[in-house]
Amino acid sequence: MIPRGPEVFLWIIGGSAGSFNPIRSFLHQMPYYREVAIILCLHRLRNPRVGMVEAIGALKGWEVSEPDDKTYIHGGHVYISPADYHLLVEATGYLSLSVEEPVHFSRPSIDVLLESVVRARWKKAAAALFSGANRDGAQGMYLMHQAGHFTAIQDPDDAEIRTMPEAALALFEPNVRFKAADFVKVCLQAITL
Amino acid sequence: MLTEFLPDISDAELEQFMQIMLTQHGYDFRGYAPASLKRRLGLVIKKYGFTSLIPLNQRLLTQPEYLRYFINEITVSTTELFRDPAAWVALRVQALPPFFALPEIRIWHVGASTGEEVISMAILLQEIGLYSRARIFATDIDDISIEKAKSAQYPARSRNLYKQNFQAVFPTSSFEKYAHEEGGHLVFDPSLLKNTRFLKHNIVTEAAFGEFEVILCRNLLIYFTPPLQDQVVTKLVDSLVPGGILMIGTKESLFWCSAAKRLIAVNDSERIYRKQK
Repeated sequence: MIPRGPEVFLWIIGGSAGSFNPIRSFLHQMPYYREVAIILCLHRLRNPRVGMVEAIGALKGWEVSEPDDKTYIHGGHVYISPADYHLLVEATGYLSLSVEEPVHFSRPSIDVLLESVVRARWKKAAAALFSGANRDGAQGMYLMHQAGHFTAIQDPDDAEIRTMPEAALALFEPNVRFKAADFVKVCLQAITL
Repeated sequence: MLTEFLPDISDAELEQFMQIMLTQHGYDFRGYAPASLKRRLGLVIKKYGFTSLIPLNQRLLTQPEYLRYFINEITVSTTELFRDPAAWVALRVQALPPFFALPEIRIWHVGASTGEEVISMAILLQEIGLYSRARIFATDIDDISIEKAKSAQYPARSRNLYKQNFQAVFPTSSFEKYAHEEGGHLVFDPSLLKNTRFLKHNIVTEAAFGEFEVILCRNLLIYFTPPLQDQVVTKLVDSLVPGGILMIGTKESLFWCSAAKRLIAVNDSERIYRKQK
């Protein structure tokens, strides 16, 4: 049985400008875990409704989708926040969407997603923040850290655009500062099943 | 308190909030999806400089005049003209033609918010020559949004996006036929609302009020839990004439709704459905 709902380990990955290629490359190297769901929250153009799943391409084992509202979380799945919606995690194990105002000019917003994970008091989760040109994600990462979850932030010297990781590092020191090339190792290190 | 960024909302406080809203004010938030509801409550708590839900609950008990502002703050009013243009094209081309011959077409916008979709539908009906036969109802629980909707005026900064969406639906028509800028506002032709009645109505707690050829309920179900989605969609499908159209948001799903079996997809990816005859 594939783990579902609140039993799933959530690996949340946020990024903006300069994050897509390293994250795509990581996904193609990441071994399949049926106990883990990866949720990507990447800033993107508001109009294209499709295309991100195709841009990531087929992965070994992992199913990739842009979830509809109230999709029940399954392990072994990569969920991509849909364009122009916020994605939130419900304590009951669903993914909810919202069209409320953009946060840091972003919808989806990494802060909104991470805040929902903390509010849901999700048991097993970790979060990483990649390259980007604004401050979204910093506050959410800090909340995850305070809630006792594993956090990792891309080394600003390794990031194509350092603003986003730097904004988070200004708030707290994460478990790991990583280089994109090492992120698979970091990701595996955090998974506690 | 979790942090200065995120006022904590305990289950007990939330329970008290829901009780006050239900028993004192008649609003039932029990079926609202908690992630978004707690976020909205958190934003209101922060705005007033509170640190928990308790003073807000107190305020809702002692200052009933605050209620309408609170409902406006707690509900998500984001909407736009012709959001998801492809869905509107599908509505025009695939869903509406069976109604062209009818003497009257009744339309219900559920959760109409500030009215951009009411205007979108009115323009669409105008473009296909059906507007004079349309009788339109637009409902929402937030009367501040309803007042904005009645004005048919939006911030001028919306103009580029709205015009772009409009042209995606009607590439050969002119946006300027319907809207102009005036005093920092994008003002729509008031005749677009002449067949429209705006009503305060709560789809969660109140009965439906008639039969409709078309019901639009877009990006409202996302704020509900699956059981409430089921209940609301049943109410909507009951309110459609046989052959009537239900249009929901393009990322909303009828997966949890038993009434889905009474619908057939007109365009599944644009989430447009027809009630079986």
